[in-house]
Amino acid sequence: MTTSRSSITEAEINELISKLHALLPEARRRGTHRASAAKLLKETCSYIKSLHREVDDLSDRLSYLISSMDVTTSQAEIIRSLLR
Amino acid sequence: MASVPSSSSSSSPSQPKTRKKPGQNSSPPPPPQTKWQTGTQERLYSRRLVDALRATRDRTQVQESVGSRAVKEAADSALALTARGQSRWSRAILFGRNSCRRKLLVKAGGKIRRHRRKQHGAPPVAAAAAEPGVLKEQKVKERLRKLGRLVPGCRKLPAATLLEEAADYVAALELQVRTMRALAEALSAATVSAPEEEETEAVDPIAIAEQGS
Repeated sequence: MTTSRSSITEAEINELISKLHALLPEARRRGTHRASAAKLLKETCSYIKSLHREVDDLSDRLSYLISSMDVTTSQAEIIRSLLR
Repeated sequence: MASVPSSSSSSSPSQPKTRKKPGQNSSPPPPPQTKWQTGTQERLYSRRLVDALRATRDRTQVQESVGSRAVKEAADSALALTARGQSRWSRAILFGRNSCRRKLLVKAGGKIRRHRRKQHGAPPVAAAAAEPGVLKEQKVKERLRKLGRLVPGCRKLPAATLLEEAADYVAALELQVRTMRALAEALSAATVSAPEEEETEAVDPIAIAEQGS
């Protein structure tokens, strides 16, 4: 596994890159292995950013919903969530 | 969501790994796709999320409303907890919240420095020695740096570790989004209709609330 001074080989890097590639939504649509490392990293960055934005939007929505809940609603919500 | 997701949870997601050893374990960890997609993880996280949100609501003053940033922080902390401290980003989130940051940072091996702006020499200098060919390109290095900024606690990691952390983080974020959206749908349905109804339609809570009140 160790080659000269590096503790990571090219094969391992490629494997990690393809693992990351498999997680991206675009890979699921196309299912190809054609992405280069740079393109893949760029897509990963933008995907993470879009996920962050979604989390922010959902946080906004949840904060509104929680603030407008009353006691009986909250009990029903908890039961429902635990049944998921 | 009336039906429980019947996913193939053949792999045991909750292996009792010690937190004191952030290095390699004898058996390889499950890939992030399966690890964060098991029904167990979803249920774990949704329960943690509900608890965290309830705690946040109890902490809020009577006149104030629960802030969106508090919700996000609660969701992130719950997500990091569900990761069981096995990944750097989760440890970085949890330790960043704690007031005694220094003590815990030293305990974690000193590798997580979220709030120290010490910029050492250009990271490529240390990493350029004996590396696979693709990592020597300038574009790739720039993008790796950008990725390191996005994942919490991963600013100065070597490329391989950073890629692993990023894969785990992406899968965890997807779980977070799924769970929060499902919770928001459940809450919308609960706020506007009678509690007996189980259907979760995609309604706009603000519009319905205006009609209902």
